[in-house]
Amino acid sequence: MEHEGPKGVKDTKHETREVRGREGISTGPSRLRASRASAPSALRDPEPRNPAYERRLRWYRWQRRYEGYFFLAPNITGFLLFTAFPVIASLALSMFRWDLLTPPVYVGAAQFRELLFTDPQFARVALNTFYFTFGTVPLRVILSLALALALNQGLRGTTAYRVVYFMPVVTSLVAAALVFQWIFNGNFGILNTFLRNLGDLFGLRISPPDWLNSTRWSMPAVMILNLWKNVGFTMVIYLAGLQAVPQELYEAAEVDGGGAWAKFRHITLPMVSPTTFFVVIMSLIWAFQVFEEAYIMTKGGPAFATTTLVYYIYLNAFRWSRMGKAAALAWLLFAVIFIFTFFQVRMQRRWVHYEAERE
Amino acid sequence: MSRRYLYLLSALVIMAVIASCAPVPTAPAPEAPAAAPASAEQPAAEGAPVTLTWGFWGSPEEKASHERVAEEYMKTHPNVKFEYFFAPWDEYFTTLKTRWAGDPASIPDVLFLWPTPSYAATGVLENLQPYIEKSGYDLSDYWPYLLDSARYEGSVYGLPRDIEAHALYYNKKLFDEAGLAYPTDDWTWDDLVAAAEKLTKRDGDRVTQYALGMEGGKWALWVGQAGGIMLDDLTNPSKCTLDTPEAMKGLQFFYDLMDKGYAMRSATLGQQGGDAAVFETGQVAMIIQNSSRVPVFNANSNLDYDVAAVPVMAGGKRYDFNGGAAWVISARSDNKEAAWEFLSWLQSKGGGESMYTRNGEIFPALRSVANSDDFLASPKPANRKAFLLAAEAAQPGGFAYFPEWDELSGSIIGPQLDRLWAGEATPAEVVPELCKAVNQFLVNNGYPK
Repeated sequence: MEHEGPKGVKDTKHETREVRGREGISTGPSRLRASRASAPSALRDPEPRNPAYERRLRWYRWQRRYEGYFFLAPNITGFLLFTAFPVIASLALSMFRWDLLTPPVYVGAAQFRELLFTDPQFARVALNTFYFTFGTVPLRVILSLALALALNQGLRGTTAYRVVYFMPVVTSLVAAALVFQWIFNGNFGILNTFLRNLGDLFGLRISPPDWLNSTRWSMPAVMILNLWKNVGFTMVIYLAGLQAVPQELYEAAEVDGGGAWAKFRHITLPMVSPTTFFVVIMSLIWAFQVFEEAYIMTKGGPAFATTTLVYYIYLNAFRWSRMGKAAALAWLLFAVIFIFTFFQVRMQRRWVHYEAERE
Repeated sequence: MSRRYLYLLSALVIMAVIASCAPVPTAPAPEAPAAAPASAEQPAAEGAPVTLTWGFWGSPEEKASHERVAEEYMKTHPNVKFEYFFAPWDEYFTTLKTRWAGDPASIPDVLFLWPTPSYAATGVLENLQPYIEKSGYDLSDYWPYLLDSARYEGSVYGLPRDIEAHALYYNKKLFDEAGLAYPTDDWTWDDLVAAAEKLTKRDGDRVTQYALGMEGGKWALWVGQAGGIMLDDLTNPSKCTLDTPEAMKGLQFFYDLMDKGYAMRSATLGQQGGDAAVFETGQVAMIIQNSSRVPVFNANSNLDYDVAAVPVMAGGKRYDFNGGAAWVISARSDNKEAAWEFLSWLQSKGGGESMYTRNGEIFPALRSVANSDDFLASPKPANRKAFLLAAEAAQPGGFAYFPEWDELSGSIIGPQLDRLWAGEATPAEVVPELCKAVNQFLVNNGYPK
């Protein structure tokens, strides 16, 4: 027995028809019937055991039950074909050794074991990924909040600055990475020229690192590029968050004699904490998935110093034809991201304040 | 009533969507030969119309060059038509492998491939040996060890188009400025170092002009000259042999060139646009590279350069590592006879080899072509014969020929040696660790088989 929607008291027509319906048969969608003049006349004035009426009723019910699926179908089909199926297939694939050319060989969990215990580069790659993630995410959050605060003061030229900080976001990463190759060049790069001149200014003879050739400095270089590229985006999210903080709170704080720091610490920070929560979660996920920066600027080198998990997936799948191992890696990466996100969500109660809850 | 039509319409739309998706995995891709199934029924006899699919990678210019070669072939074989499968190097192999996995029939009849033995091992390539024996195709015209890079279990599976013959390119102007005599074909390592000392310009601790630009990946050249090699067996290895004194000597020599600032560090070279770019801009006075740079440098009228043979170790023998992608025939081809006929023309003097060579695209795999006007007639660089010296001495050693080689090279050998080229560790520190990892990798993958 199906019931459509709340039975509004106002809908008196509906009530009458429900009563008129025979043998307790619900006569179908009330709102629709009530609102549609074009509803089949048989419904309006049903005859007992009228075959035409019964047929239409059945068709009507059938379509009520399934029409939603029809509307979902185009989207669901795409999702099943291009997301759900590949995800499940990749899980299966992770248990096969497959080079695309010869038939896949079932190896069980061997490729997971290989990655975790014998792979010559996995530990390094995982460390690189964590290094990158925990090097960039805190900086990204702090920098973008600071920029958003600065640009939220309503000073002159704010729009111009917003454009400037947002520009990297819409710049092609490929182009940016190529330019950064030149900036980071050890001998001729503008960054090292600047650092040398800065040193000269203070009478120091400094020799800045050969960024992209050094296993120690190439990852920081990748991080700098990543921050430059993405801080603008999180800044915009923070700007939106800041706009939503009610001015009355600041006014109240001023009345109570709160200074700038107190206002920031006790009003701004708690009030934008939902934004911070979103930014932290998304930044973590994005950071774990970093690929292009290293792919274009350093090719994962030197000596694997900038090879991240996703880059390693790429290498295994498309350079070394280890499809199964790449799938296994992808699932390990999924597990890591899942665990981090899970704990983030669990811990949000401790520090994320939603205005609605406080009322 | 109109709702019914709405359902009908949406059902039709969904079916159309599904229908348009569904055939993709099964139908031949657009590049696949439409005429192939038809011609399969009759052998490619003289005059029977055949459509050959021809696959290769490269730049748009290289594609145009291949198409000119095909047109030349069609002049004498009017029954043959060509369709092309073309992708940039980065995507070529992935696309091919995906097709092999999904729809092997859509693989081109004739294609450019590297490394041949790894593919031959999986059974996707046609064994060319019977065709060679039947047609009397002359294998002795190939450079001495070149076909070793295209053999699998004793049979030839591919015909290499070119050979990786290296020479020392030098910028005459920079040599004149330094007051140095030009390099000769009998230069030794010591001559190279002595000249490098004078050609390297410094500003404090910074190098502003390097003597040499050479990709780190070409280390096997020095190792081979010193008498070393990386693995005890290139097709079925049992252990890493980079830790032998000979191999260490070669690595140390290359390491020192970079460590003393004579040679530009490998990663820097890449970031500066590669050896051709730094040579043309005068950032380096010499590069060691194969003949592929010749057309580029000849097009630059400001560049006055010549080539010489790569310096050899005093007391050592000349060595170069060979290799070079080969033309192969797909085991799933429907036109194998026609494909072989084309292939044997492609790899012949007066055929494709001559055309590519005259274009300056390749250093030919065939000795007769290299020794003919096809290669020697061009006036620049004057000492072209230097490439012939290298080709005559070329042996395997730069690459190994088993399926997991790319992974071994990319995950262990390359990155470990990168530490040398980045100047962060010495060969004595890196190589023992490297060999341990290589040996472990071989054990894990079941070698020797």
